Amino acid sequence: MYRRSFKDTKSSLGSPNPNFSKPMVALRFLRALSLVRCSGPGARSPSYRARGIRRAAYACMAASAGPRRAWSRALLRKIRRRPGRGLRRPRAVIRRRRPVGGGDPLEVALRRLVPGGGCMEYCRLLEEAADYVKCLAMQVRLMQTIVDSASHVNSID
Amino acid sequence: MLRGQLQCLSPRFLLFCSFPSSAASFSILILILLLLRRRRRRRLSELKNIAFSPFACFSRRFFVSGMEKERFFGGGWKSAHAGLLPEVSAFAGDEHLPHSFVGFGWEQPVHGQEAHAQQLESALSSLVSSPSSNAPDGNDSVVIRELIGRLGSICNSGNVSPSSRCHSAHASYYSTPLSSPPKLNLAGADHQRQRMLVNQVAAAPFLADQGFAERAARFSCFGAAEAGQLSRVSSRQSLAKEVAASYAMMAGSSSSPEASSASEKLTAVVAEHNARKRKAAPKGKGKAAAPSSSSAMDPPEEENSDSKRCKAAEAGGADKDAPVKPKTEQNSSDDGNAKPPEPPKDYIHVRARRGQATDSHSLAERVRREKISERMKLLQDLVPGCNKVTGKAVMLDEIINYVQSLQRQVEFLSMKLATLDPQLEFDTETLLSKEMHQVHVPLPQQVLFPLDMATSAFSLAQLPLKLAENPPDSMFSSLQLPPIDHLANLWEDDLRYVVQTGFPQSQEAPFSSGALRAE
Repeated sequence: MYRRSFKDTKSSLGSPNPNFSKPMVALRFLRALSLVRCSGPGARSPSYRARGIRRAAYACMAASAGPRRAWSRALLRKIRRRPGRGLRRPRAVIRRRRPVGGGDPLEVALRRLVPGGGCMEYCRLLEEAADYVKCLAMQVRLMQTIVDSASHVNSID
Repeated sequence: MLRGQLQCLSPRFLLFCSFPSSAASFSILILILLLLRRRRRRRLSELKNIAFSPFACFSRRFFVSGMEKERFFGGGWKSAHAGLLPEVSAFAGDEHLPHSFVGFGWEQPVHGQEAHAQQLESALSSLVSSPSSNAPDGNDSVVIRELIGRLGSICNSGNVSPSSRCHSAHASYYSTPLSSPPKLNLAGADHQRQRMLVNQVAAAPFLADQGFAERAARFSCFGAAEAGQLSRVSSRQSLAKEVAASYAMMAGSSSSPEASSASEKLTAVVAEHNARKRKAAPKGKGKAAAPSSSSAMDPPEEENSDSKRCKAAEAGGADKDAPVKPKTEQNSSDDGNAKPPEPPKDYIHVRARRGQATDSHSLAERVRREKISERMKLLQDLVPGCNKVTGKAVMLDEIINYVQSLQRQVEFLSMKLATLDPQLEFDTETLLSKEMHQVHVPLPQQVLFPLDMATSAFSLAQLPLKLAENPPDSMFSSLQLPPIDHLANLWEDDLRYVVQTGFPQSQEAPFSSGALRAE
């Protein structure tokens, strides 16, 4: 189902990853949220939960973005590396295809901001940055609505 | 029968000659001849001699094939509407040359040099007549091919076989003949090649196929580029500019964008060749000057204006290209190539280039730069408030600031959600329904359908299984893992646990209801 949904969105919107599957993001995020909530309502500190929620947000964003995107792959890699795995699986990942000369501070900053931006060419960096910005904006909007509805509900009560 | 044909054809020819297309072609021919005369007066005599020699040898065949010629002419006229040369050939019999020309009332100014022109055209006619003898009455393209082949052979001292050059797949008649002379040019002498160049490219406006004219121009430029001398380079450049100017002039208003693009490309090609020879900024000059020349629409004085334009555009090109590093290597890092041009100029209008090593490099770099500018435009649309900003540096700064602000917002909202969390446990249904409502607005239908199917058909516990199956990437199967450390082992188990503790109905209902409502 979800594969078809990905393909459909891709074919209909004509781009490799349109990331218009907002319900997907919402679904995943809410599921993750619920997990976070039910896992440690009292046992964990809010900061720990906040960090967990943030990771959940990034993971949902990357998941809905699709594996076609370099930044989503890098983001997930980064997230999955967090759970203290002693053994790093020796993956045949070819990193640093084109090591950057780092001539421009702006570009270096952009590379640091965008996940997976260290190995890409400038063209691809811009492309990935555009997609990343789009997904990030959507995620922020989603979280904002959740918070608003939650606070609204709370205020009503 | 022949006489009758001729008599019935003659008024048609007159009519034909009065057509604007033919008039334009005549004027172009005049232009060619004027250019020729202006440049290489002495060459004309040579041409004349050369022309007359095959003319003489063809004359016999001409007489013999008079009938075929008429027939060819008739066939050509029936099918051709832009065929200048066939008519010229058909009408210009050897002994009737001056009469035929005068008789049709061409706009040719009656100078002393008209004799040369007429003789040249008589040579053309003889050329046409000879192939017409071979292939009468219907193989118009083949005939014209042979004609132009012989024309090219005349201009190139007749050392290349014309029939071997056969172009195919072109709509207009001149496309096929004009393609062969460009190829023939590659083997001929410089000046003759240049003249052929002018001939063909100036005759390019005949063509309805703009792309072909551009190709012909490029061929001629490539052919001229093999001259390899600076003096020739300058003359060639001026020639190319005049060609571009004439092309732009003749192409007409409707095709002016293509003409200008073709002339730009032409001058770009010329400019690239120039840079290869000179390794200076005549390329920028060529590019800057050619549009101005095409806009000026008159063939300027070659050398003087060339030098002037060179100086002027060099100054302009220098300050334009100053930030463009003289890195001729295409393999230099993309950031290095992209970054220096950012600050001084608008990335959208990058056109001038420094001297590059080869054309392929410069072209590829131009393509890359266009890609980068396209991406920057995309980013500009995404980032709010970037419409007024121009220039890569400022844009990048804005983008970086925006990304940083978004990331800070995510952090802040997650903290807020964490603090709000304990109060939200029973509000997931309303939350989800609200989310579905708010979030479903921009959705395409296909997304909703599988969502509905998923929600209606399965419980929540089975969804992650499906999610795990579909993505081939192992990362994404593990992506379904909860982002929380202690729940990292198995997504499905935890979810089932969660489901069993009382979430399923509350979550399934809003899913399906939300999906249905959204649809």
